[in-house]
Amino acid sequence: MRRVSLTGLALVAPALAVVAALFLYPLSYSLVAAFTRDGAFSLAHFDKAFELYSTDIAFTLMIVLVSTAVIAALSTAIAGTLTLSETPWLIAALKALYRWPLFIPFIVAAQCMRTFLAKNGLMNNTFVSLGLIEPLQATSFLDWRGIVVTFAWKQTPFVALLLAGAMASLDRATIEAARNLGAGRLRILIEIVLPQVGRTLMVALVLSFVTMLSVLSVPMMVAGSQPTMVTVDMAFRINAYGDYATANALGVISYAMTAIAAWIYLRHNLEEKRG
Amino acid sequence: MTKPIGLATLCLSSLLALGGAAQAQTVLNVATAGDQNMVDYIKDFLGPMFEKANPGVKVVAVGTGPGDSGSQKIYEKLAAQKAANAASWDFDVIVAHQKMSGQMASEGLLAKYRDNIATGKMVSSQTAANALGSNVEGYVMPMFQSQTALAYNADMVKNPPASYAELLDWAKKNPKQFGYNGIKGGMSGVAFATGWIYAFGGDADKLIKGPYDAATKAGWDSALLQLKDFNKNAVITPGNAGTLDMLNRGEIAMGPVWVDMFYTWMKDGKLPPNMKLKLIAPGMPGQPMYYAVPAKAAQPKLAEAFIALATSPEVQADGIVKRFNWYPGIDAKHLQGKLDEATWKKLFADVTPDELSSKGKPFPIAPYFNDILESYEKKVAN
Repeated sequence: MRRVSLTGLALVAPALAVVAALFLYPLSYSLVAAFTRDGAFSLAHFDKAFELYSTDIAFTLMIVLVSTAVIAALSTAIAGTLTLSETPWLIAALKALYRWPLFIPFIVAAQCMRTFLAKNGLMNNTFVSLGLIEPLQATSFLDWRGIVVTFAWKQTPFVALLLAGAMASLDRATIEAARNLGAGRLRILIEIVLPQVGRTLMVALVLSFVTMLSVLSVPMMVAGSQPTMVTVDMAFRINAYGDYATANALGVISYAMTAIAAWIYLRHNLEEKRG
Repeated sequence: MTKPIGLATLCLSSLLALGGAAQAQTVLNVATAGDQNMVDYIKDFLGPMFEKANPGVKVVAVGTGPGDSGSQKIYEKLAAQKAANAASWDFDVIVAHQKMSGQMASEGLLAKYRDNIATGKMVSSQTAANALGSNVEGYVMPMFQSQTALAYNADMVKNPPASYAELLDWAKKNPKQFGYNGIKGGMSGVAFATGWIYAFGGDADKLIKGPYDAATKAGWDSALLQLKDFNKNAVITPGNAGTLDMLNRGEIAMGPVWVDMFYTWMKDGKLPPNMKLKLIAPGMPGQPMYYAVPAKAAQPKLAEAFIALATSPEVQADGIVKRFNWYPGIDAKHLQGKLDEATWKKLFADVTPDELSSKGKPFPIAPYFNDILESYEKKVAN
């Protein structure tokens, strides 16, 4: 038996070493760097991070929360349509189209949005030529709205993919029963289907939340720098000043945001198990 | 009989070709900070020219990114190789900004090479000896001088402001018609904010020449508050190119740009033909980029030859001024006769040489520069 466990250990050792060297070591290094100054414990870097970037921290949290909400609504609509719609061509078209953004990198999406959402960009020009708005009414969406639109466009397919899969594997008898009793499709989606796939939705949203927090290219390219997301501030801290300490402090603040998301998720998970 | 000879010639020539291939292993690594045009300049213009003059040498150009952050990456690489006691370092020639060049020179990362090359004597600019307060005499050759100025659409703006004070009024009357990229998206925005401090923050000369006094930044509060107020009427664009993009689409009528980028975009038809430049009083900053050789470059002799070629009057005239619209790095008098009248006039059409010498300011010395950026983050952006 002892030999077997040694072999097993030898088999996982390379993977463990990679995780330790490329993830655990940098993580603990950045944590230590964020909390120390000249070798002693200090919160000075956090003071500086808040003094310079408190607006940006709030802005980041706002952007990511709004995006998550938009993604939840859109992906529920898409997955719900795929599961409950009775129009075959609509399902076929939606199925063929909705996954495309999954294959587009964030930076490409940002570049497209930059010309699409600009004041005299493709979207507004289309509206103007359709006579929907006057040229003078055109406004630029290249601010927080642009970031939210880009995030929603990029992350909705991911959540919808997981959600549609979960909905497809539901016992359809529950849906049929509700329909026999006269429930409308929207009501079935909200009262029958969503509660059964709530956990999948939660996991997908938490994953999206964490992904969006770490994106640098989108806020950098889509919006101007005031206010901006903390990833841009981290990059600026390092690039302009070589100041890794404050950048690490901002990183820890990002960890804290993801930790909140993880905590909500775990709590929800536990409650479900108890119930 | 002809056949064997032909065969022998073939063998010989393929041997020669092989020899040539073996020689081509000599690689000159050039790392350059700055926008894509810097990489293009090395890769498409200077590299092929040097390879032609030195058969068997291959020039590899690496771009490290725009702004001081690009130079920071070069510094980090060299500092790491020095700390690791590497026998030879990965870059043979570097092209870097002032702030990091000064630091690299003072930390012993650069070789003192300027006296070894003939073009070293053609440099007259102050910036060849002093990089934002650091002594870089002998360590660097200016590749070019670049300058920021306000670009404006002459159809939309008939009487452009001539000073920062006039700009303040203009922006109030024309809300959201002025755009710049803040300080995180590129150096044109940094230059604009620095010019603001020169105009409203007190003694500009002290910021440029030193000595450093940490208390000075306390005197900028009202200037920064004014700037915060000004920002409400301004558009914050995403980067140097972002400002030019918005000027092109007519979304803003005025914004600070790099003169060289401006002329290049004009030439490519990416800006309306009615765009003009204005260098406003009391002045806006410009900066050179430097050629330097790392202290332990693998090919120091080749590196010097490369820089000598790059700073020769012919290349400065044809490459730096004519093709890329920068101001020359060596004294302009050496370019006389190498440039046609039309090119010379075009470069100085909107900004005259007199204006350039009176209103083209250097950036402040490094500690003040950092203070300006950080005060901006603290008081204006947050």
